[in-house]
Amino acid sequence: MKMLRKQFVNLSRVSTHLPRNVLASRAASRGAEMSTNVAPAETATAPPPVINEFRTGVTNPGEQSELHVAKFYTIPIEEKKQIFSGGGLPKQYEKQIKTFTEACLMVRSPALELLHYIKNADLTKPAVRYVLYGDNGVGKTLTMAHVLHYGALNDFLLVHVPWAPNWMKRPKEAANSASQEGFIDLPFDAAAWLIHFKAQNSKLLQRLQLKTSKEYVWSKRESTPAGATLIELVEHGIARIKYASETTAALISELKQLATAGQCKIMVAIDGYNAFFHPITRIFSDNKQRVSPDRITLTQPFLDITSYDWTNGVCVLSVDKIAMTEGYMSSYMPRYLLGKEGFEHLDPFVPVHVGNYTDKEFISYINYYLDRHWISKTQPGFEEQLKFLSNMNPYTLMRLVRGL
Amino acid sequence: MAANLARLLECNIRCNNAAAVQSGWRLFSNQRQQQTEVEDDEEFRVLNLRTIKQQARRREIKKNAVQPPRTSRMPVDQDWTAVWSGPRSFHPASVPLPLRQGYTERGAAAPSKYANAELMKIPNFLHLTPPAIRQQCEAIKKFCTPWPKGLETEAKWKRPFPIEVITTDYCHSLPTIRHPEARRVTITLKLSDLKFDAHAKDKFLRLVGERYNQETGVLTFSADRCPMRKQNYDYAMYLLTACYHESFVTEPWEATKSEADMEVYQFERNQAKRSAEGILNWNATGEQKDAPSANYAKSVEALINEGENEYNIAKYKEEVLKMLKIAI
Amino acid sequence: MGFVPYTTLSSLRTLKCCRLMSMYPPHFAEPILKKDSEIINKKDVSHVPIKAAPNDLSDSIFYGVLKNKLLKYITKKGNGSLAKQLLTDTLETIKRTQIERLNLINAEKENVIIDTERILVNAIENSRPLLQLSEIKRGGVKYQVPIPLTEKKSYFLAMKWLLDAAREKDRKVHLPDKLAWEILDAAHGQGRVIKKKDDLHRQCESNRAYAHYRWS
Repeated sequence: MKMLRKQFVNLSRVSTHLPRNVLASRAASRGAEMSTNVAPAETATAPPPVINEFRTGVTNPGEQSELHVAKFYTIPIEEKKQIFSGGGLPKQYEKQIKTFTEACLMVRSPALELLHYIKNADLTKPAVRYVLYGDNGVGKTLTMAHVLHYGALNDFLLVHVPWAPNWMKRPKEAANSASQEGFIDLPFDAAAWLIHFKAQNSKLLQRLQLKTSKEYVWSKRESTPAGATLIELVEHGIARIKYASETTAALISELKQLATAGQCKIMVAIDGYNAFFHPITRIFSDNKQRVSPDRITLTQPFLDITSYDWTNGVCVLSVDKIAMTEGYMSSYMPRYLLGKEGFEHLDPFVPVHVGNYTDKEFISYINYYLDRHWISKTQPGFEEQLKFLSNMNPYTLMRLVRGL
Repeated sequence: MAANLARLLECNIRCNNAAAVQSGWRLFSNQRQQQTEVEDDEEFRVLNLRTIKQQARRREIKKNAVQPPRTSRMPVDQDWTAVWSGPRSFHPASVPLPLRQGYTERGAAAPSKYANAELMKIPNFLHLTPPAIRQQCEAIKKFCTPWPKGLETEAKWKRPFPIEVITTDYCHSLPTIRHPEARRVTITLKLSDLKFDAHAKDKFLRLVGERYNQETGVLTFSADRCPMRKQNYDYAMYLLTACYHESFVTEPWEATKSEADMEVYQFERNQAKRSAEGILNWNATGEQKDAPSANYAKSVEALINEGENEYNIAKYKEEVLKMLKIAI
Repeated sequence: MGFVPYTTLSSLRTLKCCRLMSMYPPHFAEPILKKDSEIINKKDVSHVPIKAAPNDLSDSIFYGVLKNKLLKYITKKGNGSLAKQLLTDTLETIKRTQIERLNLINAEKENVIIDTERILVNAIENSRPLLQLSEIKRGGVKYQVPIPLTEKKSYFLAMKWLLDAAREKDRKVHLPDKLAWEILDAAHGQGRVIKKKDDLHRQCESNRAYAHYRWS
């Protein structure tokens, strides 16, 4: 968050710095003549986006099919703000969205496969766990974002953790838990997650009017009565940061019960899920020893909601090499990353492989970049060079293209 | 006075001459010509008060004329085994081959076989020509028994004789003919030749340890602790027998084997089965319970025992989708 | 804004051949960058000895003569990979700002240059000085004498000034950001580097009376 804010500050500095140069650029007539041949497509910046061969107008992920593979669809700004304001898109991608003035996602086959499963799933059966796996930078998070968009449009309550390792690797604050002996609370992170949850689901929560099933007593004076709405519960957690972790646990157990009772359906999306099964965290306990993730109070509810003992839900999890630390990163396969414990917790799950771009996707992406003026060097054969240099890995391609 | 002087001079000259002759004699010992010259000078005898000892003449060594090499007399169809019957260092005159061996300067031909130490130093196999071997085989044939019928190929004789005994005999030039390494006995056999049940096989492999090669499936017992070969052989066979029979014994403490001690992942014993059953029997009221399919169990076992790879994980995914009845 | 086409840039590379202490005799030809360059008749080249190609010369889309030169000026303590990263970040920032500006303005979109390399060229061409003041002692008095610069030196100075301006920053600002702003400013004919160049030219102009000291 902090980093992101800093980026915004930088960018806004750049943009305040710029307008005085506009006149000068107009005066530069010779330079202007040269810049006409920079990019082939010119007309895409107008508010109603032009449908090119690499774009699709189908903005509802539920309606996308194999026909739309390798095509871009635009997430409307309000929806993007609702779903991804608290994270969920990679930082670099956020930057790209800001520069390109549109939140475009490419329709890729792993996401379509997942959506196909979710659409045809029998929700009366226990929640199915889908595990996205793949090498670094292949688009696991964006696939998850695609699915999240679907969930938000189809009345799923989103239980979304943008990047779980943040809790283990760089927590804002760690405090001893008051309720559980020997456990560690992450009050600020829990509160941030509650805010994120509220931002994603406030509309739906208001519509569904979900009620708590039992009374939660936080302290002598504070309690949440049975029958209070979930929004009240969440707002209590946000207001009283001290109890945010416990509120999270309460909220998730309530959600599970409500979903099993059939009052709502839930989509759980946790990025970097294997961080919950990493042997150690970077948090120190009172006796100056590193704590294992299961001693963090936030871990328990999210492990709970990813087990199979509830219905009306779907879990989309991703396992990632970079959620681990040095020495645990030799493979990107789910069993290796989850470890024995994690595998036993998730089994049986549906592994979904996310791979590098196919040729079609690659060409489509290059076209998109050209359309957005992002590539200005279009010598013959530049696609070939990029293809070989990036190995069609999305992240590598993004990093290569930025200096062009 | 003058005559005296002349005589003295003459004497000096003679002395000089004699010295010259002497030195000539030493330098060129086999030139007889000069000797006769000295004798011819005897007529000018001088007074010789101290007679110079006649030097003993060196005995002449009579050398036989060198015979031409034997190879020049060899017929083309001779019996080579008679010429070169046993191992022997190279002899140029006996080998009718234009051999050359050795290092020379660039461009020059290699030294010929005569007086060539390079050829003599290296071992040769001139006594092991194919006709010689054939001849010897022919000679010892009468001591051999015929090869048993029905054991013509390796596959055929491997079945009745699964154990292979490997020993080494050493031939060397020491006062003793015993070689310390000759006592070593190695027996090998395929594990598949032994009959086991699951428990016995596991226990046998644990007993045997690294004597079993996982990749080839071959057991190797090697013994060298006893002084005699026979004893070592007996010991190796004893080891094999003892391990085999011990593996069928079940000790009471073996029942305490926990999941962490398991050498392979078994679906039946693990959480995977409980989870799968829990999902399949969700909200089930009846008595009968659905069990996860054998294929699913196999795929989970393969995933964990064989390690993860694209194939195993794809297989696992397929089975999970089938089990959970997710639309494919 | 004085826009100078690429042809002047090529002189940066060919300048090397005039070196007195060159390890190659003068009849050696420069290596050819493009694989299928139609400019050169292959028969002409076939029997001419060719200099060994420098190891940073490449045919890729990431290569630019000027970019390479600037890269070497950015490098500190031989850490070329960091310099490359910094320059790439710079170019990215430039591109981002230009695209954001393109999206901001409604009319005259053609006036916004997005090709970062062209912006870089413009910036450097704009900040190239023509003259330099050199101290010459005549009659016990030191005079600041304006002296014309060689092309190579002027390119060097332009890039050095840009970098110096970028390195003179707050600790919290990153070099790529600052360098990007300086380059953008210079490309539009404003900013500290252009001012520095103008100041130098003005000083040379005022010292033109001493110009004859250069050769007398």
